Amino acid sequence: MTTSLLAKRSGGRLALLLALALLLIPYLHALATGQPETGSAGLAALHSRAESVYCAKGSTPTGTILLVETLLIAVATLLARGWKTHGNPLQEGLARHGPYLFVFLLLTTIPFLLAWRTGSSACTRGKAFFWESVFIDVFILAILAISYNLLFGFAGIVSFGHAAFFGMGAYTVGLLMKHLAFPWVAAVIVALLVGVVIALIKGVVGLRIRGLYFALFTLAFAEVFFLLAGNRILVDITGAEDGFTFAVPDFLNMTKNRLFFYYLTLVLMALAFWLVRRLMGSPTGQVLRALRDNEERARMLGYNTFTFKLIALVLAGILATGAGVLRGIALKGASPNVLGVGFTFDPLLATIIGGIGTFSGPVLGVFILRLVEQMLRDTVLTLGSVQIDIGERWALILGVIFIIIVLAFPKGIVGTLQEQYRRRKGG
Amino acid sequence: MSELLEVRNIHTYIGQFHILQNVSFDVPAQSITVLLGRNGAGKTTTLRTIMGLTPASAGVIRLNGIEIQNRRPYEIAQMGIGFVPDYRAVFRQLTVEENLRLAERKPGDLQRKLGFIFQIFPDLERLYHWPGGQLSGGQQQMLAVARALVPDNHLLLIDEPSEGLAPVIVEQMMEAIRQLSDQTTVLLVEQNFHVASHLADRYVIIEDGRSVHHGQMADLVADRGLITRYLAAA
Amino acid sequence: MTTKLRSGFWRQSLLIAGLFAIALLALNFLIFDTGIVAVVLLSGFYQGMLFFLVAAGMSIVFGLLDVLNLAQGSFFMLGAYVGFAIYNALPEGTPITVRFVAALVGAVVFGGVLGAGVEIALLRPLYVRPIFQIVLTFGLATAITELVRGIYGPSGLVPVEPPAALNTTIAVMRGQFETYRLFIIAVGLVLMIGISLLLQRTRLGIIIRAGVQDSQMVEALGINVRRVFTLVFALGTAVAALGGMTAAPFLGAYPAMGEQFLLTAIIVIVIGGMSSFEGTAIAALLVGLTRATVEQISLQYLNTPILASISILVFMVVVLLVRPTGLFGREA
Repeated sequence: MTTSLLAKRSGGRLALLLALALLLIPYLHALATGQPETGSAGLAALHSRAESVYCAKGSTPTGTILLVETLLIAVATLLARGWKTHGNPLQEGLARHGPYLFVFLLLTTIPFLLAWRTGSSACTRGKAFFWESVFIDVFILAILAISYNLLFGFAGIVSFGHAAFFGMGAYTVGLLMKHLAFPWVAAVIVALLVGVVIALIKGVVGLRIRGLYFALFTLAFAEVFFLLAGNRILVDITGAEDGFTFAVPDFLNMTKNRLFFYYLTLVLMALAFWLVRRLMGSPTGQVLRALRDNEERARMLGYNTFTFKLIALVLAGILATGAGVLRGIALKGASPNVLGVGFTFDPLLATIIGGIGTFSGPVLGVFILRLVEQMLRDTVLTLGSVQIDIGERWALILGVIFIIIVLAFPKGIVGTLQEQYRRRKGG
Repeated sequence: MSELLEVRNIHTYIGQFHILQNVSFDVPAQSITVLLGRNGAGKTTTLRTIMGLTPASAGVIRLNGIEIQNRRPYEIAQMGIGFVPDYRAVFRQLTVEENLRLAERKPGDLQRKLGFIFQIFPDLERLYHWPGGQLSGGQQQMLAVARALVPDNHLLLIDEPSEGLAPVIVEQMMEAIRQLSDQTTVLLVEQNFHVASHLADRYVIIEDGRSVHHGQMADLVADRGLITRYLAAA
Repeated sequence: MTTKLRSGFWRQSLLIAGLFAIALLALNFLIFDTGIVAVVLLSGFYQGMLFFLVAAGMSIVFGLLDVLNLAQGSFFMLGAYVGFAIYNALPEGTPITVRFVAALVGAVVFGGVLGAGVEIALLRPLYVRPIFQIVLTFGLATAITELVRGIYGPSGLVPVEPPAALNTTIAVMRGQFETYRLFIIAVGLVLMIGISLLLQRTRLGIIIRAGVQDSQMVEALGINVRRVFTLVFALGTAVAALGGMTAAPFLGAYPAMGEQFLLTAIIVIVIGGMSSFEGTAIAALLVGLTRATVEQISLQYLNTPILASISILVFMVVVLLVRPTGLFGREA
């Protein structure tokens, strides 16, 4: 017992170390083999050495190494799961965390895969460059969906105003950097604090009123921000309905440093995922689940349900605001639509498609939604005499998909798969 | 005596809890049958299952020979079963009159039965236009029973009619049930053994979701052993 | 005991509502000329009635079915579009009055039939999973809005012309007031009285009032509650669609109108206490008056129409802080 528990813990640490090592290898390789840009010196020269390797068009050694590593991890994970020798930390770590490691490495490889398949560079304008921005959008929305799922799926709190967090994240960071010349770190911190404050207001005012009242309260709350952002009186500050743009430091500039931004959002998404997983595995998470299943009973067991709900709300608020901050920086601007119902509906839809109350469901939901939308954007479907322009009708199609899933597959993709897996195992 | 209600091997789940695990008994026409058993044995669930409110997952329930276990509660009610739940489901916002009118199945039901209802529950005449929420506990219980008398029911399911009532009111309620049983068959759940033994002709004992014993009430009263085994407070 | 408390609770609620109305009036007389006060009051009533038409169905449906219909605003919008379609589709030479009445009737029928369909096909399978019903209506609202946007485009239709008698202005004290607003107020009043008669005097009303408390017991009395659910839901959406068409000659028809009215309707039913019909009616008028007053203030002094929207949100928050279940809500 004790040994396997120890193995579990150190297994997690080993898996993390393994991930870092696997990520360093291709970079070190690039450093060793690249040619520095003429005229650069010091660290910049060193980095430009690496850049010359992985920014090359088409197939790059960096991409090849990452791909091989990804496949190796896949094989190793399968082997680790097959062998049942208890007590080996590396095997424990791979068996438990291997699938996540695999997905993470695969996402790390994607820019190079794209560059290879399309014969373009991962760092300069081209097809791979464009698709990276699609993935960045996916990662940001995945953070928003993870946050939504924390509230709805795990704590059982329905919110129809999640866009308030998201939008205020984008607006705050942008307005502070534009008008008050805040350095980006300060602007991000203040924006997250604004998220905390919104969560506290929502919590202290809204959570006293139960269930539905709270959902409606959040809807109305988000609408205030939406109205304010689009209003003409604030036009000098917010640009009213047109929104505003602001300058970001070069290294955060998605147009210049897209590959970096890709990895930044990927890592942050992974962090958000890990954070929620850790939280739900902790005693606090247990109470939240108990709350969701039966609030009355949790209260009778002596838990201060208000405090626990507030914790969930604040954490979800920070995550959603953080996603909004990223969105603001990525677009170098914000407009009222980040505060609109759409950014509440999208994470709700992703959560429901992927699977409410599952860890990977919301992330999967966002991937499916956004990538399918991107692929079908210019498709025109002809059914007899009716022509459906899928890109233009996407919102309508989403609405219909949403209704069908709520009616027929309430557990979503991951939930349904898990149920079938369990049933097969049980039967 | 013919069997008005036949309950055969019913199983009922509430959520994932297997509440009724094989309950079978008969209710002969023109009788008062009482379901006995300890708290949580499944008596209320049995009544609710007959009514279709917590449908059985297996088993057969027949009313006058017709299977009813798969029907919706309103259809079961329309076949002639009246239900008086243990929580006195009197509609608080509705007046006594409206509460009774709600139970009409065809126009004129209430008109025909009002005399009989006022005869066995004289209080209700005085309170006819009061909101249900303003009645006392005993009066609400009377109204709940009276409501089941409005349409022509063959069978009344009455859950704990004496619960929480003052002794005087309990006597009044017993007398009322005795009177109405001249016209309809009654299936009763009753914790108060004194009340049960004075009212009922027949008994069914339910324990842990199973029907374990049944027979004539007079025999049960005489059988101390049986009473201690199944009904004495645990 | 509880009933005594309840009637005290009721009187207290009425008192709060009454005091608030008086305070609003006093504020009006303090800051505006009498002529303007009249216009503000009429405008408040006209807005309140529109909010009422959307909120009434939501509140009754919520009380009986425990479903919060977030697609109600979309039915309001659909009413306007369907009404317009009928109005414009009638052959040339049809008198405007006939067109107008046909549009109103068509909106009601359409709203009712579609509502019944939604209840039967989409909500009925979900009574075992209540929270999903709300989530579903949220999705339905999006789908309907997008559908309309797809068919008619995002920008909306030019208002149709109402009959001549309703298309003029009359002088009220020193202000001018469109007769069409009076028509809206009249429609609202008729429905307010009609619905409360339905609730108080008819068998359906008895069933609804009983079902709000305990629909299972109503079913055990031999009433097909599901059919009543469908009927009530359809009535609610029909009233909303009528509201949409009633508002349309004034506001036009545009995809976002559903969302706008939904939000105000939500505020109204939250203030009114979610499932109380009287509460909803009173709250609708109070919200209308508040909006109209603040609109006038900002028009006169600040020139920022947004204050009106914010003021009613503040109103809601304050009510929730004082009464967590709304003014006339069931005691928690």
